[in-house]
Order: sequence, then structure tokens, then C-alpha cells
Amino acid sequence: MSVAVHGEVHGGGVADHIHPEPQTFVRKYIFSIDHKIIGIQYIITSFVFMGLGGLLAELIRVQLMHHSGALVNPDTYNELYSIHGSTMVWLVIIPLLTGGFGNFVFPLQIGARDVAFPWLNMVSFWIFPPAGLMLYSSFLMGAPVAGWTEYPPMSLQGAAGTSMWAAAIFLIGVSSTMTGINFLVTLLKMRAPGMTFTRMPLFCWAQFATAPLLMIATTALGAALAALFIERQFGVPFFDPTKGGSPVLWQHMFWFYSHPAVYIMILPAFGMISEILPTFARKPIFGYKMIAFSSVAIALLGFMVWAHHMFTSGLAPWLQLPFMILTFFIAIPTGIKIFSWLTTLWGGKIQFSTAMLFAVGFIATFTFGGITGVFLAAVPFDLHAHGTYFIVAHLHYVLVGGSLMAILGGVHFWYPKMSGRMMNETLGKWTFWLFFIGFNGTFIPMHWLGLLGMPRRVATYDPQFQTWNIVATAFSFVMTAALLLFFINALYSLRNGRKAGPNPWNARTLEWQIPSPPPYYNFKHVPAVFAAPYDFAEPLPYRGLEGELDPSVPAPVPAGH
Amino acid sequence: MAVENRDPAVKLERGFWLVTAVLAVLSLIAVVATVLYPVQRLLPEAAIPADQIDALFKFLVASSSVVFIFVIGYLLYFSLAFRRRSSDAPDAVGVQIHDSQSLEMWWTIVPTIFIIVLGIFSIKIWYGIQVQPNSGLVVEAIGHQWFYDFRYPGVHGTIPNEMHLPANVPVTLHTTAQDVIHSFWIPAIRLKADMVPGLINTLRFTPTNPGRYEIICTEFCGTLHGEMHKQVVVIEPQAKFIAWLSGWKSKNAHASDAVPAGGGGPPVSLAGGDAAAGKALFAQKCIACHGAATNGFEKRVVGPGLDKVLDDPAHPKLVDGNPATPENVAKILQNGYHGDMGQMPSMGANGLSAKDVANLVAYLKTLK
Repeated sequence: MSVAVHGEVHGGGVADHIHPEPQTFVRKYIFSIDHKIIGIQYIITSFVFMGLGGLLAELIRVQLMHHSGALVNPDTYNELYSIHGSTMVWLVIIPLLTGGFGNFVFPLQIGARDVAFPWLNMVSFWIFPPAGLMLYSSFLMGAPVAGWTEYPPMSLQGAAGTSMWAAAIFLIGVSSTMTGINFLVTLLKMRAPGMTFTRMPLFCWAQFATAPLLMIATTALGAALAALFIERQFGVPFFDPTKGGSPVLWQHMFWFYSHPAVYIMILPAFGMISEILPTFARKPIFGYKMIAFSSVAIALLGFMVWAHHMFTSGLAPWLQLPFMILTFFIAIPTGIKIFSWLTTLWGGKIQFSTAMLFAVGFIATFTFGGITGVFLAAVPFDLHAHGTYFIVAHLHYVLVGGSLMAILGGVHFWYPKMSGRMMNETLGKWTFWLFFIGFNGTFIPMHWLGLLGMPRRVATYDPQFQTWNIVATAFSFVMTAALLLFFINALYSLRNGRKAGPNPWNARTLEWQIPSPPPYYNFKHVPAVFAAPYDFAEPLPYRGLEGELDPSVPAPVPAGH
Repeated sequence: MAVENRDPAVKLERGFWLVTAVLAVLSLIAVVATVLYPVQRLLPEAAIPADQIDALFKFLVASSSVVFIFVIGYLLYFSLAFRRRSSDAPDAVGVQIHDSQSLEMWWTIVPTIFIIVLGIFSIKIWYGIQVQPNSGLVVEAIGHQWFYDFRYPGVHGTIPNEMHLPANVPVTLHTTAQDVIHSFWIPAIRLKADMVPGLINTLRFTPTNPGRYEIICTEFCGTLHGEMHKQVVVIEPQAKFIAWLSGWKSKNAHASDAVPAGGGGPPVSLAGGDAAAGKALFAQKCIACHGAATNGFEKRVVGPGLDKVLDDPAHPKLVDGNPATPENVAKILQNGYHGDMGQMPSMGANGLSAKDVANLVAYLKTLK
């Protein structure tokens, strides 16, 4: 049975329904309906795919160490980067930030016992690993070659694996859409009494801004993928210009999803940064309301800028202007966030844990990636830079220097809550510095490589660019070393980490007020909330949490089904 | 109980103002350096509107370097100045301020003004690009896997891989593609257009600076996308341009004499092929797809290896369904190939003359 609407309602309209404790291993860890287990399942699955996608990335970098291609033939190379991009976007960053950290963290932060639709949540997750395997199985039948964007008519020429790619991404899209609906309803209906929108932690605000993007934008991608699949398999010409189709139609549909998807991949990361910074600076987050509203503003504007990916595609020239101006305007809410984070650091008592290092590093690299984004929004500059390594540099600055840095910070921050143990801080600091240096060394040279004439998606290139490509590859090994260290730390700490206790960072949001890892019912008693959680000099703004850490207080009794 | 207490008054420390002054000086240096830096030393400006686009680029770099220097400067300063010290009590907290209406208003208004200025500047330059003079020379460029074809007024057929332009004459370049989406980018002109099958995208510019410049494909177009560069635009004095154009006019006067990009025409003569010249040409034009000359037929890179292709009595090879004779191999070199072994461009697309084909076949004969 589902729980959303029939649970006992008291206080502020809360569904205080408790599932019975899962008894078997399968129900507890495999087909679990517990948002925390599902979140961890997403995180583990995504990191496995990140290992694969990272391996592909290193193969790409090794190939580019020689201008005529050091490793594989061009066709194989094209498969490598196409699957690399698809993996990192759809199997790593999006599921980590929404299905992974979204699932685990925000229901606890709003004082809920689970998400609104736990069974739907389980189904969402279980679509994801098979779809990932489908994507990788495309290697067996000839993987797609036209990059993660798969523009037709090129993708119509692609091998059989291109259809498999479309089917796999379609399924991921279904899973994303369901997650979006689930999170939105949970945030609207399942908040603890007194948890008003202006008292919600900023990570919840970020998920609140992201959920509609998942729900609405993904449907456009689904339509595009279905059309591509039908055209490839049954010859219905949506995109083939020789039969009356339009290749540019795909670009509109694809970017109508994929630009909002950029914000799906960064808004939750913003939310993580907004949780980590005040906790370790021991200061209220500066400008709470503006940070919250700027997330919503970015999400809304995010729907209106997709054609800035298409300035060279043949848009009517006047149509370029509104897309340029609206894209410029996204810099304003993004700037508000960066300035607010900076001011949060001022006057703090900053403790540089690994999580905090990643958060501070994020501000530096994301600012850089955001600035090059403004460059690219300017049509005249984009006419030069579009389709070059400058784009590759920009997108990795926001997705690796932005999203992935936040995710690594988030893992170091919430790992104690998920596992009950601390990660090793010394290894963590090595991870950060190696990652930060390796990342910047890999992607900084790509800016000028692109501006001077190196196009993206090439297996071979002009010999004049070889030196900087070797530099980028060398630094990419440093970044890979950092990630290996991170994996070792995460696995090692699972058994050998120091016991964390409920609140190792002395944090103030609700998830830190209950045991680590939290019990299946989350809260013995759903607390009442009477302020935002960022006043570090004040007592905690919750009532009713007294028994949470007291083993003599019994677990709550499940409601009968 | 409710945490609505007023924020404490903020007094900024002397260090903050010192750092701010240093960052302001650094910003000023960055702006001046950016404005003075000659971009054309890195990448020549071959035509109008490259100079305009570079002006916008400089504006973007200069203004954003101010933002970047301040953000990074404060980030480092705050991280150092406000780090927790060992003398701090374990439960020490920072200054409990929540917001500041005036500060937040400023960092909304100032970026908004900056965005408006940037928008106006961008639109001005965008308008300049759109309304380049329409008269002058009209050229058509067609993208193929993996070469370009050009059509000029008064020239029959197409001219593969060779675009000459006269200096100081406005050019209107209509682009499209024959098979998949390609892109036409001349970095020295800072412009590109996607070549989309079924659509015509137009670029307008006025070459100013004689020289040879690259045309690069920036839209993924298949196996040899990475090789679809190093094409040349030659921008030259008008008289030389007219001579070049009339050369093509007479060369292509009858369609049958034209070097068709798709191949065709009578078979080329293989007489007098020079194996040494062929060897040099092989290293230059063939190994990207066929691999080293020592690769056997079964060892494919993109196309098959060519060792012993003409001399292996034990395993006679078939090319395009025919025995691998010099004539049949020359036919593929001349007309290109499209079939189950993949795709190979024709001699026109590969920039090979009839003599080159004869030399290559002579070289292939030596692979025993």
C-alpha cells in the first residue's frame, strides 16, 4: 500500500505513517522501499558507473596524447567519448544528485518518515541499473558515435547500438520523471509540523527547484528519443532531411531537455554547498531567502534558454537575441549565490574538514565555469567558440569542477550519517588537493586549445596542439589518482572508520539529530520545527526530539495495512 | 525563543580593506593587460568582423577577470583570516549575521547593470555581423563526409577543397551539407556556420588580410571528422583571384572535364607512375585510415591494410567485388568507395591529381 494520503494527519498536515520493519535481507537491502536504502543504492550504482565512465575518460586522454591518435582507431574513439558523456550525465551526476543524495538527505531534513510514494521510488531505482547495463551493452553491437547529443542525421547512420542507447536513456528518463514527481509531492505534503518553506534547509529548496525540471523537461527528451528510435527501427522520417524530416527538430527537443538538465545537475549541488558552508563556518548561511529564491529563478529561466546551444545551427537570426539575453540573466541569480556563500565565510570560525575544502574549491572552480558560460551566451563569441574544446573545458568546469566537487564534498559530509562511521580525514585532504590540482591542470589548457582551433570530438588533431594535450593527459592521471584514493577511503572507512555518533559535525539540520545510520522509521516522534536551522549560537529549533537518541524510548509502532 | 534577534552590527576589519585595495589594483592590471593584449598575435584576424568579435572577447575577459579576481581573492582571504584556530573554544561560533538588504541589493543591481551593458554591446556587434554588405562575391560551400566543395559564379561544377577569396571584397557564403551535419569554421575570421542538409546557413564577411587560413569542421560528422581540417582559404589581391577563378572556369568549361568531387570521368592513366613520390604521398594521405604500409589486408584501421594488396598470389584480394588489379585499385582511388568496407573519398576530395593516383598505384605495386 502506498502511504501518501491516508496517513494520520496532525499539526501541519503531516503523513505520519510508519512502515513495518523489513524482515528479510531482500526487502531490507535489495527491493527496499526505504528512501535511505534507495538513496544509498543509487549512490553505489552511480559510483560504479563513474568508475566505468572514468576509465573511458582516461582512454580518451591517452588517445589524445598523440596528434594522430595514440590508442585506437577513430571509430572506436568516437564510441568511447559518446558513452563517456552519456554515462557521466545520465548514470552518474543526475542519479547521484537526485536519486542518491536527494533520496537520502532531504526527507530526513524535512522530518518525514519516507518519500510520498515509496513503491514508486523503488521502481524508479530498479529501472536505473538495467538501463545502465543496456547502455553499456551497446558496445557489443556497435556503440553510438555521435557524442552524448547524438545529432541526426549522424545518429541515423550509427550502428545498432545507437537504438539501444536511445532505449536506455529513455528508461533513465522514465525513472527521472517518477523521481521528480515523488520528490515534489514529498516536499509539498510531508514536511514536519512547523517546517514552513522559509524554515526548510537550503538543500530541500534546491530539490524543490529541481523536481519540476525532472518532471517536465525529461518528457521532451523522452519524445525525442522515441522519435529517434522509431526512425531508426521503422523508418518514419522525423529527422532525415532527404525524406522531409528536420535534423534541427532533434536539436530543439534535445536541448529543451538538456539545458534544464544542466540545472538538474547543478541546483542540488548548490544545495549541498549551502549546507556544508554554514556548518563548518559556524555561521548562519548569509541571505537565506535570496539563495532559496535564486534556485527557483534559475530553474524557471533554465526553461527559456535552450536554443543558446544552437546559435550556429541556423536559427532565424533575430531569434538568437532573446536566448542570448535570457542566458545572460541567469548570471544574476547565480552571482547572488556565489556572493552569499562568500559572505557566509566572512567572520566565521572555519573548520577545514575535507567536506569544507571541497565546498570552498567548488566556489572557485564553479565561478570560473560560470564566467565562461557568460562568454558562450554572447552570440558573437559563440560563433567562434561553438563546437570547440572551449566548450569541453566549460562544461567540465561546471559538471566536474561544479557538480562532482559538490558531490565529493557531500559524500565526505554525509558519509558518517549513511554508514555510522567517519571517513579518514588525512586521505580525504589528499583526495581534495590531488583532485583540485588534477582537475584544473586537465581542463584549463582546453580553453585555449579550443579558441586557437581544436574542434571537439576528434580522434586526431593538428600537431601544433599536441603539447597541451599531453599536459592535460598528465594532469588527468592526477585526478584519477585522487578518485581512486577516494574510493579506497570510502571502502576502507566502512569497516575501519572511527564511529561517527549521531552528529560528528555539530550540524543543525534534522538528519543530524537522530542516530547514524538512522533507523528505518527515521524519527521516533516527528518533531515540531520553529525556525530555520542556521543559528549556530542558539539552541536547536526543534521540539519532540528528546527520545531519539535514548535507547530506552521504544521504536514507534507501525500502522496496520 | 524564535530566532528573530537582530544581527550584530558589522564592522569590517582593516585586513578586509587592505585586501580589497590589493584586489582592486590586481583587477586594474588585468583590465589594462587584457585591453592592450594583441589577440591577433595568437590568431590572425583575416576579415571583418573578426576585429569586432575580438573586441567583445576582450570586454568579456576584462570584466570577468575583475569578478574572478575579487571572488578568488576574498575566498582565499576569508579562508585564511577566519579559519578556526587552536585557541578557539570547541563550541566557538562565527559572527551571527543573517543578511543585509543593502548588500544583497547591490550585488543584484550591479550585475544587472553589467548584464545590460554586456547585452547592448553584444547586440551591437551581433547586428554588425548580420548586416555585412550583401553585394560582392557569392560563394556556396557544401559539406561532405569528409571534405568541402565550393561553387563559384561562372564556374561549372564544383571546386573541391579549395576556397580562394579576393581581399577587400564582401563575401556572402551560403553553406549546406550533402549527407550529415558539418560545420564550417574559419578561426581566423571567428565565424562558423553549421552545414545542415536541407538548410542554407549564410555567413557574411569581408576578407582584409591576405594569407592562408584553415577551414575546420566542428560538428561531429563521422569516422574522419578529425581529419576534416587543414583546408585552406587563400585571400589574395583581386587580380590574382580573378586569374585563379578564370583558371577554374576554363578547366571546368565542360562538365566532363571538371574534377568531380564524387569521382567519375574517364579512368586515369597509370603510365609513368613514380613509386618514390607515391611513397611520400602514402605517408601523407593514406596512413590515417589504412595504417602503416606493413599492415596486412585483414588489419583494418578505418580501411583495410594495404600490404601486398597487389601481389599476394596465395590470397588474391577483392576490391569492390573485383580482383585487386592496379586498374581496379586506381578506380577506387579515382572515384572513392562506399560499401561494406566503409567509405573512402574520391581523388577530388582527397586533393589527388591523376599523376598522384598513378604514383600511388606504382608505390602499392612495390609492397611485396
